[in-house]
Amino acid sequence: MKDLLRLRTSLTEEIEALLNEQIKVEAYSSSIYLAMSSWCDRNGYDNSAGYLEKQSGEEREHMLKLFRYVNDLGGSAVSPEVTNIPQEFDSFKGVFEMALQQEIQVTSNFNRIADRCQKANDYVTFQFLQWFLKEQVEEEYVARRILELFDVIGEEGAGRWEIDKHIPKVSFGNAGE
Amino acid sequence: MQAKINTHLIEIFKTECGSVYQCDQTNHFILEYAGRVTAFKPINFIDFTKRVFAINLHDMASNTARHADIAILMPLYTETCFLLTMIDTIRLQRILGGAKTILHLHTLLRTNQLQFA
Repeated sequence: MKDLLRLRTSLTEEIEALLNEQIKVEAYSSSIYLAMSSWCDRNGYDNSAGYLEKQSGEEREHMLKLFRYVNDLGGSAVSPEVTNIPQEFDSFKGVFEMALQQEIQVTSNFNRIADRCQKANDYVTFQFLQWFLKEQVEEEYVARRILELFDVIGEEGAGRWEIDKHIPKVSFGNAGE
Repeated sequence: MQAKINTHLIEIFKTECGSVYQCDQTNHFILEYAGRVTAFKPINFIDFTKRVFAINLHDMASNTARHADIAILMPLYTETCFLLTMIDTIRLQRILGGAKTILHLHTLLRTNQLQFA
């Protein structure tokens, strides 16, 4: 008797569902970054708007990477429905606090999926996830560094203008330089 | 549980209300239920199973609206329209759930067999 389920895909139903959930999380991240970009733009933070728009594109790329992987392995990648994107934010700093929270949530999700992959002996997907886990180190680092600018520079006077100017320059590659 | 009907058709799971077969020639799963026979590609069979299990039995039981007595499933990959009462849904869930368990067990045994061969 043929194993038709295995012939269809090497992904288990559980892992496929988890990856589809993550596709949705990445799509949500992409949309929320875009909303943040718009808020920054209309509040005069041009550099941050550009940075957040770029981040939005990166999150979409992450989503597509997961999307293609699920389909490549014979699974069914689901185009996600993204709703409830906040359009207004409390403050300039609040935008980046939310960005960090979002990145922490994403890291936690990837850890959970990696854990499930190990338990399900799906080392192919586990290996695939390594790229994302490494990427999350960078994402969280950058988000934290940006938030620290608010303390280092201070928001008073021209502080926010200065912070906005520095935000696009923060990168993981510059660490220790 | 897995009795060969003919060369290509293998019984996966059967209850008094219906059964699921696997056709090794066409690589399809065949559902026999309420006097109807429906063939599914594996990917569609999984999807159909999910849809049947997603039917809210609690809502069917508690909602007094007439439309709540029936669940309608019309997946685009089959010409069959499933009109399911609560009893039908439970019966179908038993058949599909049983088939899914046997198929997963088969995958598990086959994987282990390959590992230790």
